[in-house]
Amino acid sequence: MAELTPFSYRPGASVLHQQDVRFKLVFIAVISLAGMKAYFMSLSVLSFALFSAILIIHFPLKSILKELRYFFIFLIFVFAARALCTSGTPLIEFMGIDITREGMYDGILVCWRLLLIVLVGLLFVSTTRLSEIRAAVEWFLSPFPFIPGKRVATMMSLIIRFIPVIFEQAKETSDAQRARGVENRKNPVYRLMKLAVPLVRRTFESADKLAVAMEARCYTEKRVNIELYATRNDWIALFLVLCLCVLLSAIDMFGCLY
Amino acid sequence: MNILEIENISHRFSDGALGIDRINLTIREGEFVVIAGRNGSGKTTFLRHLNGLLLPDTGMVRIAGVPVSENIVRARQIVGMVFQDSDSQIVGETVYDDVAFGPENLCLDKSEVKRRVSEALRAVNLEAFADQRPYLLSGGEKRRLAVAGILAMKPRVIVFDEPFSNLDYPGTKQVLNQVLSLHNAGHTILVATHDLEKVIALADRLLIMEDGRVVMDGLPEDIIMKVEAFGVREPCASRLGMKIDSWLN
Ligand SMILES: Nc1ncnc2c1ncn2[C@@H]1O[C@H](COP(=O)(O)OP(=O)(O)OP(=O)(O)O)[C@@H](O)[C@H]1O
Ligand SMILES: [Mg+2]
Repeated sequence: MAELTPFSYRPGASVLHQQDVRFKLVFIAVISLAGMKAYFMSLSVLSFALFSAILIIHFPLKSILKELRYFFIFLIFVFAARALCTSGTPLIEFMGIDITREGMYDGILVCWRLLLIVLVGLLFVSTTRLSEIRAAVEWFLSPFPFIPGKRVATMMSLIIRFIPVIFEQAKETSDAQRARGVENRKNPVYRLMKLAVPLVRRTFESADKLAVAMEARCYTEKRVNIELYATRNDWIALFLVLCLCVLLSAIDMFGCLY
Repeated sequence: MNILEIENISHRFSDGALGIDRINLTIREGEFVVIAGRNGSGKTTFLRHLNGLLLPDTGMVRIAGVPVSENIVRARQIVGMVFQDSDSQIVGETVYDDVAFGPENLCLDKSEVKRRVSEALRAVNLEAFADQRPYLLSGGEKRRLAVAGILAMKPRVIVFDEPFSNLDYPGTKQVLNQVLSLHNAGHTILVATHDLEKVIALADRLLIMEDGRVVMDGLPEDIIMKVEAFGVREPCASRLGMKIDSWLN
């Protein structure tokens, strides 16, 4: 069920839970940007910072890593693709395929970056209530007169609300089809179609039901919203995060490419 | 006092099917009404007219004297609806957020929202779950969460559409207890079901629907023997000529 996605809010009272959402959104933006360009030295610094954050908020790291196992499979693919497709000095030669030194290096770098960015996102999502994210999105969109901020914010939070539902329905549908022997069909396109069509239909149906239920509870766009207020701690955290990012770029700039 | 006055309402769906057909009814404040009928007899369609989710093609519904079409928000606040599928009613990321959804839509004060949410959660015994994620609740707890979401809007009428579907025996009892205590607190209760056994002992009035019409309307003990002609199972005790005992005993 909802356990299927590790990306959901976990109640708590840590520093990160209390942080103003707008600041947290800025943090993920700058950290992700810095992380995308980082090399090994600065990646280690960033990893160290992130792990301290994880320890400070008593994040259940073990269970999270277990839930992220599909993501690790994805990372293995990314790594393999990089390792096999980058030209350079061959390290291992196997059945005519070269695994190059540059490819290995590149693969590790890319996977490390991706992993860190996913962890940052995970920290954000699991310490922030959906209603706060919505309020923050609204706040960031309010200076733009031509974007209906409230509507965008609602749409976004509903999409997030629907992710576990879609996962659950996908699992249920695929189990039901396996129970009726769909695995005997070897054609993956056939199987995908048989899974996708009912899944899309069911998702639309539950979206429709949700819309009716929201209407029955007087849904309007003009509603009470969470007040966002920044404290001194938020500004201090912003300062620290910016320092961290400057440090990261500095490390890379001054030639420590390894 | 009549809280609901339904005058000759009919509704035809866009594909031409007749959903409900000339229904006339009045429901007094504080009544406990059970609406029964086979699948597709129009129970859900009828109930959706009570809070303006559907509007009738002809006729009108008045809530405490005011037509629904005149003030739909008021209608939805007075008539709270608990749907058949509790999963698809959940809007919030946590139990607390979900219950707060309704009062927030009514643009109430922040402290008032908070007060109402904790009151509603207390009423359904879910206070301990305020920070829990709703998907992780059991079936009976989910349905009680749906009730709390409605209670936070302070309705006078509470409509339950198939409140016992997918519930086991303890879950059914939890929900039944909830319904009973809401009725005792003065709410008008409407329950649509095709399974009379579980609720009929609590009801003051029984309506039977067939093909979009109300075909029988009266005291449960007067009409319960005739319900099988309309695709509703007569409760066992009634078949055996005994008085129907509540499921709660
Ligand atoms: N949107 C729609 N468009 C066309 N026909 C519909 C629509 N919704 C319901 N109907 C039809 O209206 C009739 C009454 O449906 P309704 O859902 O009110 O029955 P019900 O008594 O609630 O049944 P159940 O016990 O299965 O919940 C059914 O024949 C159904 O097929
Ligand atoms: Mg129905």
